[in-house]
Amino acid sequence: MSTTSASSWLTPKRIPALVAGILGVVLLIVVFANADQTQAIVLGLGGGALIAAIALSITLNYQGSGVVNFAAGAIAMYGGYVYYGLRVNGQLFLPPIPNPLAPIEGIAHLAGASSFSLPHIPVFITLAHPGQGAAAFGTFVQQPAMPVWAALVISLAVLVLLGLAFHFLIFRPLRRAPVLAKVVASVGLFIVMQAVIVLRFTSSAKSVAPILPSRPVHFPRGVSLPSDQMYLVLIVIVVTIGLWALFRFTRFGLATRAASENEKGALVLGYSPDFLAGVNWVASTVLAGFFGILAAPINQSIDPITITLLIVPALAAALLARFNSFIVTMAAGLGIGMLVSWIQLVSNKSWFPKAGGSALPGLTDALPFVIIIVVLALRGKSLPTRGSIETIKLPFAPRSKGAFPATMVLGLATIALLFVVTPIWRLSIVNSLVGMVICLSLVVLTGYVGQISLMQMALAGIAGFTLSKVADAHHIPFPIGPLLGATAAVVVGLLAGVPALRVRGVNLAVVTFAAAVTIQNLIFANPSWSGLKGASVNSPSIFGFRFGQNDPWTKLTGGGKGLLPNPWFGVFCVIVVMLLALAVVNIRRSRIGRHMLAVRANERAAAAAGVSVSGTKVLAFGVAAFIAGIGGALSGYRFGSVTAGYFGAIPSMIFLAYAYLGGISSVSGAMVGGIIVAGGILTTVFTNWLHISEQYTLLLAGIGLIIMAIQNPKGVAGAIRDGVHMIRRRRDAKGAVSSSGADSVPVEVAV
Amino acid sequence: MGMLTTSGLSVSFGGKRAVDSFDLDVKAGSLVGLIGPNGAGKTTTIDAITGFVPAQGSVLFDGTDISGLSSTMRARTGLGRTWQSSELFDDLTVMENLQVASERVDVRGFLRDLFRPRNDDVSELMVILESLDLADSADVLPTDLSHGQRKLVGVARALAAKPKVLCMDEPAAGLDTEESQTLGGRIRALVDGGLSVLLIDHDMGLVLTICDYLYVLDFGQLIAEGTPAEIRANSKVITAYLGERHGGGSDPTGDDGAPVDGAPVGEVGVGE
Repeated sequence: MSTTSASSWLTPKRIPALVAGILGVVLLIVVFANADQTQAIVLGLGGGALIAAIALSITLNYQGSGVVNFAAGAIAMYGGYVYYGLRVNGQLFLPPIPNPLAPIEGIAHLAGASSFSLPHIPVFITLAHPGQGAAAFGTFVQQPAMPVWAALVISLAVLVLLGLAFHFLIFRPLRRAPVLAKVVASVGLFIVMQAVIVLRFTSSAKSVAPILPSRPVHFPRGVSLPSDQMYLVLIVIVVTIGLWALFRFTRFGLATRAASENEKGALVLGYSPDFLAGVNWVASTVLAGFFGILAAPINQSIDPITITLLIVPALAAALLARFNSFIVTMAAGLGIGMLVSWIQLVSNKSWFPKAGGSALPGLTDALPFVIIIVVLALRGKSLPTRGSIETIKLPFAPRSKGAFPATMVLGLATIALLFVVTPIWRLSIVNSLVGMVICLSLVVLTGYVGQISLMQMALAGIAGFTLSKVADAHHIPFPIGPLLGATAAVVVGLLAGVPALRVRGVNLAVVTFAAAVTIQNLIFANPSWSGLKGASVNSPSIFGFRFGQNDPWTKLTGGGKGLLPNPWFGVFCVIVVMLLALAVVNIRRSRIGRHMLAVRANERAAAAAGVSVSGTKVLAFGVAAFIAGIGGALSGYRFGSVTAGYFGAIPSMIFLAYAYLGGISSVSGAMVGGIIVAGGILTTVFTNWLHISEQYTLLLAGIGLIIMAIQNPKGVAGAIRDGVHMIRRRRDAKGAVSSSGADSVPVEVAV
Repeated sequence: MGMLTTSGLSVSFGGKRAVDSFDLDVKAGSLVGLIGPNGAGKTTTIDAITGFVPAQGSVLFDGTDISGLSSTMRARTGLGRTWQSSELFDDLTVMENLQVASERVDVRGFLRDLFRPRNDDVSELMVILESLDLADSADVLPTDLSHGQRKLVGVARALAAKPKVLCMDEPAAGLDTEESQTLGGRIRALVDGGLSVLLIDHDMGLVLTICDYLYVLDFGQLIAEGTPAEIRANSKVITAYLGERHGGGSDPTGDDGAPVDGAPVGEVGVGE
């Protein structure tokens, strides 16, 4: 805010050029240094082309609709699977569509007619049959069912329909929504697409035959490159030039560029911003999906995760080009691909940092993060923000009344339940309690201060791994160990949160997501820390009383061994959740909470009122990291170990979904969020009572998230609150009922 | 030496000088008006003084140079401001809006609040609300208030920080004549109580009636300064406003009942 500025030659506009230049020089030096490194760099071109294509798709979206699409990688992956299903099996898979007849069938089953069956909506539409002969040996030697061109044409048609659906069903209704709602919707899309693929194809990799001709092409100095990678690079270059020309020379492109600055600009040129957004959604979906189709065979296989996670380097490339220049986006994408490939090669060298005897993993994933941080830190706020009017507000953060009695009643009731219910339910209650803690951390950071974080589970993991590797390894006893872990989470959270002082909104979401990917790969996947099996966590004990998840326990009545899991661990979780919930309620009711909401509402006005905007944000990052850290320690105790997969970037994303779905700006919302986490109480209701497969819960969470982003930013808890208010108002209008008796009934909504 | 003094205050936006070498002086306990046609650089001046745009030149507050301080620190030293469009915290009640401005957060207090939130004393803030006829709205959300009341809450929030100098950006914009006059009386009362005020407003009747001293900007340049009587007679000011009037076609009836009968300046009330 003061008059300081960077030295005159380092203007924000020059930074991409500067970074690109430095990268170029480094690459050139390496290229001329020796041939095997040159080969590695060249082999990175294929991956780079895919990164570039996803980055182009992100840029197109941003230009067209102001959405930074976290699902762009998932769309590419989805496209790859559509093609795979058609080409190999001759089947077009459908996303799960609710069957209106299902409830009737369910009722019939409940009534005892278990053989009663009504028509089902098909899962696959079979368009061609696989070739004869080798089907018995599985897909590996199966003849393709459909010619390449047919599969390709149908896949592209599906992608067009998907793009239209994304626009009309999700992002058009959100065009006036705050950034948080748009990010949440794209996260929801990410979750839905991945869940659909896992449901239809399982999460194991499928082998795919090449589309582009693949034979080695030889270059001077013994360098060679498979021709399919070369074609991929050529195609991405052609697409980039096409996009550049389209945006440069056509009225449509001009209008989109105008709209990305100010939506009125497009209207002046005779285009509705809505139309432009729709066209760009279709274009970006087809672009990402098309390259997903072309690129999958380069790795000889396709799985639901690899391409999806290319969103991180792609975001780095798009950010480097300020979501603006297609040429820079493409160059950055190719560059990152080549650098990643080079790092993979040199990681075998003796000088490369080692961990546990083998090369330090995760550096390739850290690279995009470093690029993102450097670009954002240098460029600060100069990233263009879209000139559209936000008319939908962030969810309201209520000041709760009667939180203490409500917490006590709910807490004691939960403790009582823990000793009564069957082990399955006990486990799901504990899972929900752990989830509530993570959701509470998001209430503070995202709900109160409006800072979007996609790294809370990674911070939880920091605490979990610290508990395992530092506290347990050094025999640090129970209450200190988890607190130490939470402190470590605070340190990392503050380190990653400091860029938040310079970036806001969707850029912060990008930074935190990249941070989560980096932490996951650099620290959690580090073999000296965890490896594949994870790091063990000793069960907690106090004064010799062990109350870990799997410690034996004695029944309260009648004696004898009780069934595991140990309910005393659940009691411990309840106490932790109660303490944290009350603390977060108190934050909202005290000075710091008012300052947080002031910062969320209006940073300039908050500063003018003497509020330290950066101080408030730093405090919120610290508090949220601490709470997340406690959650990480709890889940470490709950599983007896900590693993990289559980605490990674995607879980962080999914937890934002749960927290938002529950209601991100209230403690009661965090409680609801905990109930709906995977493996939590709602999952058990689904699987045990409604007999809905567990895999569907994630899909439902994703769909619920999108609906919630569009319909009701207050979340489930907010909807309940509104409902109670409405009932109360109606009752008051009648004026006949005294309020004294009714106040004690709806306890949970008062939190 | 005044409470608030700028010298050589300049702001540029992409090569264009929005404010050009402006020397301004607000004496202790005085009400200084800053007027000028649309785009003259009035709001930019307040932004520069309160630290919301980078600026050259110095800003002295009560004798100390504050031009290196952040906007937050300037606010904390006693330099308050209000906004053209109120900029209230819509998720907080009216009273909470005021509390944000009057309360500081420190780590010890924060840790104590985690376990037992203080019941902060709001009696002083209630006095401010009462003085602006807002006492009934203390527990209401700003979104439920009328436009005029929102503007007043903006003023109340600025006052809650106990400023020594208050920069007010068009507090009367959007108010009807009666509301505007009442507000003028209240601002005058605050100044008589010892506050120093820098006031921007388009209601010339209001400004010429209540201010002690006026600065007139046009295209970032100071074109006149003096007492209201001097400004009313200044030909440069008249030309600047007539030019604005011919070009803008704005409503010339914004100042009914203001005691500036016949004066050309007084006829022009630029409605936003």
